[in-house]
Amino acid sequence: MDIDLNALLETYRKNPFEDHVLQSVHTGIITFKVQEDQEVHGPEGKWHQKPGTLLYQLERENNIKKIYSPCSGTIIDLRRDLNGSFTEAGVDLMSIRHRLDKDEVIDRILRDVLILFTAPQRARYLLSPEFAVKIEKQGQPSIQPGDEPIIMSLMKRDTNLVYSSTPGVIYKVYFQQGALVEEGAPLLGICQEENLSYIQQVVNKIKTEWE
Amino acid sequence: MKERILIANRGEIAIRIMQACEALGLDHVVVYTPEDRYSMHVRMAAKAFQIASYKDPNDIFEVADHAKCTAIHPGYGFFSENFRFARRAAMRSRPVRFIGPRWEVIRDLGSKINTKKVAKDLGIPVIPGTDRPIYNEIEAEGIAEWLFLLQKEQGVTHPSILVKASAGGGGMGIEEVNHLNTFRRVYRRIQSYSKRQFGDEGVLIEQCLRDYHHLEVQLVCSQHSEISHFGTRNCTIQSTGRQKRVEVAPGFDPDYCTYPFNAQKVLERIVAYSVKMAKHVQYDNVGTWEWVVTRDGNPYLLEVNTRIQVENGISARIARIKGTDGYPNIVKEQIRVAFGDRLGYSQEDISFSGTSIELRIVAEDARRGFKPWCGAITRFAPYQADWVNVHTHIPPDLSYFIPTEYDPNLALAIIWGQNTAEAVERAHIFIKNTQIEGKDSHDQTIITNLPYLQEKLNDVLKF
Repeated sequence: MDIDLNALLETYRKNPFEDHVLQSVHTGIITFKVQEDQEVHGPEGKWHQKPGTLLYQLERENNIKKIYSPCSGTIIDLRRDLNGSFTEAGVDLMSIRHRLDKDEVIDRILRDVLILFTAPQRARYLLSPEFAVKIEKQGQPSIQPGDEPIIMSLMKRDTNLVYSSTPGVIYKVYFQQGALVEEGAPLLGICQEENLSYIQQVVNKIKTEWE
Repeated sequence: MKERILIANRGEIAIRIMQACEALGLDHVVVYTPEDRYSMHVRMAAKAFQIASYKDPNDIFEVADHAKCTAIHPGYGFFSENFRFARRAAMRSRPVRFIGPRWEVIRDLGSKINTKKVAKDLGIPVIPGTDRPIYNEIEAEGIAEWLFLLQKEQGVTHPSILVKASAGGGGMGIEEVNHLNTFRRVYRRIQSYSKRQFGDEGVLIEQCLRDYHHLEVQLVCSQHSEISHFGTRNCTIQSTGRQKRVEVAPGFDPDYCTYPFNAQKVLERIVAYSVKMAKHVQYDNVGTWEWVVTRDGNPYLLEVNTRIQVENGISARIARIKGTDGYPNIVKEQIRVAFGDRLGYSQEDISFSGTSIELRIVAEDARRGFKPWCGAITRFAPYQADWVNVHTHIPPDLSYFIPTEYDPNLALAIIWGQNTAEAVERAHIFIKNTQIEGKDSHDQTIITNLPYLQEKLNDVLKF
């Protein structure tokens, strides 16, 4: 399981940005709180308890809902023309040009190294109660073929997904409980136990070399 | 001011509500989520607003205010049986009419638990089991043990119980337990499912009846204490997930098959019980009383659906109202009575003619546990005749991707015949001549339940 880590790092060095398009999360009267080209920051604190920069407010039924920046970066493509108007849910409002940090680069590169257990359908996914407890208690529990680590909630029906690849440990969970995941997107990143040290080397190298 | 209705639902029911509004000369607007942007309910609407979710009341009320709506029609599912939503509509600073019963009635009957209590008080038979949600595992296991013992005393050879999400509906969140030692696992699973899907982990436990038919009584009531019924329906043919697939009106037909009991008497009994309960709670809109009838002819009240039912069309299709042309439209009746209209007819003015069958066409694999099929419909060509109405939200002119967020329902076909035999024969013709084409993301051909429906047509109304 060798990867050309230097080449991968070089790719990210050349373009260390990702644009996050933000859409109105609800319907309501919108009031922007940021300007084009403004630098914003994402949530901070151990549990992300400190919200990011206030991006906009939505007023619905005389109630204000504040929407904060999910990540750091620069505001681009701001739809200033919508300010003060009734806006439907799902409308593109702005983008944040976000510079990847060290952990995010590690996360992206590890997707090329780990065995990925991907979403078979566009659906909502949950960790099975058994694996949720294991992950909480053990951090990186082992997984065997035949295990049912994930519940797929599709069209209101729950199905247990069976893991059928090589035995290993669950190194990374890529989804939030109950979140909608696109078909083919990774759900779990699994590492064979004998490769754990190699993964650690990759992580250490990125930590050292990424500024 | 002209009334304007916000249709807070999706798919075929949104279209049927839209058509009813147009027939009544009412303005309407619809809401939709991104997944539904290509649905016909959006394309047919004069005005459509995108919202985050059909379950987001704030978005819905905001659209209602922005579009100057005077009423909200909840359709079925979503907020249709949510008394808090109905109460909020009535009591907010800019009230909007909720098209459904009064919120107090929804509160009292919208929950299976309250319904059971009211029914017991009125001497209406209910299925043995809990009459309140259970949150405690030890207590739940005690009840399960009692229900298994009860069945042993009754001489039931294969006793079982049902564990249900108390806040659930539409057949979702129900599992059967055959042995007490597997109860806890199922209880925990339903509790977790219920909390996720309905926000409440309360669970109901009741005796699982076998060898029964699932019947319904359709009532239409007004705010002027008028109560009429539009007969009975038989909804026994259901998927393994207890979701209805074929419905028939009337509920039994002794001219079509024989019953081990006096079928006409049973139908009269469940209608009388339903009307009695509706009178007691001063029911004031459309509603469905759901029953199970066992082989010995005993009816048990299951629940009351305080909303328009998917299968309302078959009750309408066999009904005639004296002095009016054609058959009635129960969605129209619902809107009329919600605006305070009198019914304008009595029970004596309602007559019934023939048999109507509803086929629920769903993209699912009936041979594999009714597994939903996900993909794009490239062609939907239902058979057309003057004896069938098809309700669908699938666009006829473009490829339509079935949203994975909702049930994979494709269409409803409402078929009429002068008698049950003719209705069944016509349903067979409809299925044979209906064409549905589509592919999933792996280029596999669409799977629908049409073969299952065809097979099950032979069983309709038969015990």
